[in-house]
Amino acid sequence: MKRHLIGIAAGVTLALVVSGCGKGGSSGDGDSDGKTIRFVAAKYDDDTQPYWDNLIKAFEARNPGYQVELEVVDWEQLDSKVKTYIQTGQQPDVLNYNKFSDFARDDLIYQAKDIVSPKVLADFLPLFADQAQYEGVQYGLPFISSARLFFYNKDIFDKAGISEPPSTWAEVEDAARKIQKAGDIPLGLPLGAEEAQAEFYIWAMNNSGGWIDKSGKWTVDQQANVETLDYLRKLTKAGLTQPNPEATNRKDVFNQFAQGKIGMVNGAVFMRKGFLDTVDKNLNYGIAPLPSKDGTTHNTLGVQDYLVAFKKDEGRNREAVNKFLDFFYQKENASKFLSTEGFLSVTKSAGNALSSDSAYYKPFVDALSGARFAPTDNPNWSAVEGAVKQRIGTAVSGAEPKKVLGEIQETAEKDG
Amino acid sequence: MAVQDTTTHNTGSGSGSRSGEERTPVAPARGSRHAGNSLRLRALEPLLWLGPALALILGVVIWPVVEMVRTSLMDISSTGVTRGFAGGANYAELFAEPDLPGVVLRTLVWVVGVVTATITVSLALAQLLNSRFPGRRMVRWALIVPWAASVLMTALTWRWMLNNFYGVVNRVLMDVGILDKPVNWLAHPAQAFAWMMAVAVFVSLPFTAFVILSGLGTIPAEVYEAARLDGAGPARTYLSVTLPLLRPSLLVAAIINVINVFNSFPVIWAMTRGGPGFATDTTTTYMYKLAFDNQAVGESAAMAVVNFALILLVVLVYLRVVRRREEIG
Repeated sequence: MKRHLIGIAAGVTLALVVSGCGKGGSSGDGDSDGKTIRFVAAKYDDDTQPYWDNLIKAFEARNPGYQVELEVVDWEQLDSKVKTYIQTGQQPDVLNYNKFSDFARDDLIYQAKDIVSPKVLADFLPLFADQAQYEGVQYGLPFISSARLFFYNKDIFDKAGISEPPSTWAEVEDAARKIQKAGDIPLGLPLGAEEAQAEFYIWAMNNSGGWIDKSGKWTVDQQANVETLDYLRKLTKAGLTQPNPEATNRKDVFNQFAQGKIGMVNGAVFMRKGFLDTVDKNLNYGIAPLPSKDGTTHNTLGVQDYLVAFKKDEGRNREAVNKFLDFFYQKENASKFLSTEGFLSVTKSAGNALSSDSAYYKPFVDALSGARFAPTDNPNWSAVEGAVKQRIGTAVSGAEPKKVLGEIQETAEKDG
Repeated sequence: MAVQDTTTHNTGSGSGSRSGEERTPVAPARGSRHAGNSLRLRALEPLLWLGPALALILGVVIWPVVEMVRTSLMDISSTGVTRGFAGGANYAELFAEPDLPGVVLRTLVWVVGVVTATITVSLALAQLLNSRFPGRRMVRWALIVPWAASVLMTALTWRWMLNNFYGVVNRVLMDVGILDKPVNWLAHPAQAFAWMMAVAVFVSLPFTAFVILSGLGTIPAEVYEAARLDGAGPARTYLSVTLPLLRPSLLVAAIINVINVFNSFPVIWAMTRGGPGFATDTTTTYMYKLAFDNQAVGESAAMAVVNFALILLVVLVYLRVVRRREEIG
């Protein structure tokens, strides 16, 4: 009996040791044939998963022997998931993300020309392809884009006696005061953590401010940005925004605009699909260029997401990745994703295919041609973005704008 | 089993730790040339028995700690790639963060405040649950609900209840006439922190109350009888009999709560995400932000090590207090 017990004890010990050691080596074993790839996709809304399921089924039917393992991850968890995957050597083959340059800096991903056919490469609109470069080489594959314009509620404007959407900051403030008097929330200003960097940049770029100067140096603490925050702070203190912009997220503000509670907001192209269609289809609203300080030029914020492909198994996954990506960028497939999710095209072919619904989308497409983008080609941008999301809102409530911007500038100058 | 039995019988009631030496004279009696070898083997035998437990502790407790400390000394890029040894750079950066002192101070307020409030309320609750009244069983069950419900869900529910536009708290207070316009509770750091502490107390109550309740159950009725005979009133009985006899359960409840509350993440994360800015962060949520907002995994690991050291300190103090108490007892 004693011998048995010793045997069991030894067995358990052995099992623990083996399972402990085995963990490190098991990753990526399933991919070694080079025909099975893992694809981590970001979840834009509930339609994302069915879209990819269908696309992958079609791809596998067309390419016998090839398999795509899909994982759809919510944006909120995507960042931590991606980091964990890379740290533990389990990166997917293809990733749908909003950044690419630090992967390129750390030599983790393929160049664009290695993973799509020349035809697809030439199909990307130059505006987006340029934003997908790191040190002059294109790594990211533009995936979707979005643009921002100024949304206003026509019923609220009528009630307050405003005839024209505001074009300058002074006019915004003037309209806001009239709406305030009429008893509605004048301006939606989402400076909560969700998308504070976008909201701030929209105001800053229309005061010739921004993140970097022409030579690519960080200029977060420049005077134009301080002025921008001073202006937003003034609106906040005067009660011309929803209460506590520093603690309000974009989706809350968009929701309230859709409910007809807010007079003006810097809206996005997916406002109709994501908010108006689900809350109030009949909302009486108008779309105008984003107001600027002096009213002469009106810039818009462009946002794009990317697809990137990770180097694995000495490039054995390249062929399968290439097949899958070429399949996705076929005109029908790419344009179907855009119309499913309500985004703008990043390729010429899909853009042409999407002409059906142009009345709503046209002003956004037009605005995109001169759009400004966040400096996603700078590997330090992720850290700066994180700092902005956390800090910038405090500048309209308690903290001094100059001090807040100075702290972000410090983060920006740190080595990623 | 037989061999072991005889040896223990032979050595009599000698202390376990010395049995090895005392067994030596027995060995030659078996007349084996391999006596030395088998002895050495037998000395290794306990390892087999301890093995699983040791492996478990090494794998589940020690290894992650080592890994955490190692990470805190590494230079890790924003993508997660390790670039090499960083020395104390992560710690230097952590201690240079302008927000750190506020975060640590707030953590202290958080732990002390939540644990004190929890124990005070739990004492009263346990007393209530210990007395006989109709429906006591139902009330005891009801108290388990906040415990059984997911903490994240409870925190999210409270966030919506406190919402500026749709929250039921504002509605009730306005209907009653206490407020004349809605208050954005979670947007102002001081209010938000107070609400979150209240929620943290709420979710800690059931466990604490039950620990104290079980402590109340161990106090023999005779002590109370004696107190009554000596003419002690209810207040005196509570202070001089109940509380001192509850000391062991109180100590357990306090220490477990301190560790839990110190590491509490979901309440703060779900309700304010530590914001606005870092105004409602504790070290635990700050750690997360360092890794995933600032993209500084190494610095975040340094924060984790500091956090770990703080908790270790609390536990050591606890052990010392317990030992002193035992000595006195």
